[in-house]
Amino acid sequence: MKLLFAEDTHDLSRAVCAVLAHEGYEVDTAFDGEEAADLIHKNGYDAIVLDIMMPKKNGIEVLKELRESNIVTPVLLLTAKSEIDDRVTGLDAGADDYLTKPFAMKELLARLRAMTRRRTQYQGGDLTYKDLMLKETNFELSSENSVRLSIKEFELLRTLLMNAERALSSSYLLEQIWNEEPEASEDTLWLYISYLNRKLSAVASSVKILGSRGESYQLVSEE
Amino acid sequence: MESIYGEHLPKLEEIRLEMENRISKIREEIRENVGMDTIEHCLSRIKSEESMREKCRRKHLPETAESALKIIHDAIGFRIVCAFVDDVYTIRDRLTAFEDCKIIKEKDYIRHAKSNGYRSYHMILQVRGAYYVEFQLRTISMDTWAALEHHLKYKKEIKNEELIIQELKRCADELASTDITMQTIRDMILE
Repeated sequence: MKLLFAEDTHDLSRAVCAVLAHEGYEVDTAFDGEEAADLIHKNGYDAIVLDIMMPKKNGIEVLKELRESNIVTPVLLLTAKSEIDDRVTGLDAGADDYLTKPFAMKELLARLRAMTRRRTQYQGGDLTYKDLMLKETNFELSSENSVRLSIKEFELLRTLLMNAERALSSSYLLEQIWNEEPEASEDTLWLYISYLNRKLSAVASSVKILGSRGESYQLVSEE
Repeated sequence: MESIYGEHLPKLEEIRLEMENRISKIREEIRENVGMDTIEHCLSRIKSEESMREKCRRKHLPETAESALKIIHDAIGFRIVCAFVDDVYTIRDRLTAFEDCKIIKEKDYIRHAKSNGYRSYHMILQVRGAYYVEFQLRTISMDTWAALEHHLKYKKEIKNEELIIQELKRCADELASTDITMQTIRDMILE
């Protein structure tokens, strides 16, 4: 597992990196914000630790930049104890977690484990429900038969599957799936629900989506 | 050499034409009622002497009219290519409604695609207790896929065969998905 540890205090960096390496992580170090940003754009990491107070570019700027370029790598921020505002700004800017300095090494390790665990479960996982399987890697929907979904169909079905048996309102679903497309309407959503229902029955699954145009939708199994 | 079909060849041709006419009538009727053509095209053939003999040998059957007409059921074959998925089932229902025909076998490879991705509706009808006719019904995109897959089968020594088989399966699943999407759109237009 590969980490980036960005912290301008050399002694702290050296000590932490020694422990991380001992724990089996492969660690790159950066000592200012610009160096961190360069490394993030050049290399792929499984997790990034950013100190907020860094020269040249602070941790929050680095974080904002990488989220803007659609890098979704989990980020842990290191903040000073007193700076509540920093923590709020950091989380709002797309940080996954934070740790206040000074911190205990074993807490840092535990938070890194938790953060990377969430990521692997979320990314690699295939979603299953009753007789249905939805593959995250290739958008394949299968039961007795299989079809490939389009991106929007996949995102919609994934949201419904992660909330199986719960009623989700049209406005919530539109916001989740068509957030960037203001022209999408309840009719758009209804059409996609119709696609999915036909595709669910084409793969001969017992799963279907209940609900009518403009109302809430609920994924259930008739098993 | 005598034909493997013996004296039956004219009769086979007669039944093929009769079925072709019935299908044209169905097509015309639906067009008048719904205003849309359900059938994109319809092909039929009498299996050639050569392929019938080859099939007998492959199945370890004597090369006789008995084998070609009673044991093997695709001496007369139809391929009906439809516009939309639902049309396949509409036509299926019309074919099974022929009063002088009996359904011998039905295989729905649309509902249960073959492991390589092949999709089609297969059906064998027996006409007036005597001759058999095989029907293959599918959509345009299923037909397109089958045409490409056919090339693969007859080309020996394909590089990356595993990858190509996997990719063809993906294409089949994507086309099937698109077929359903277009069907849903048509339903919505006709609503």
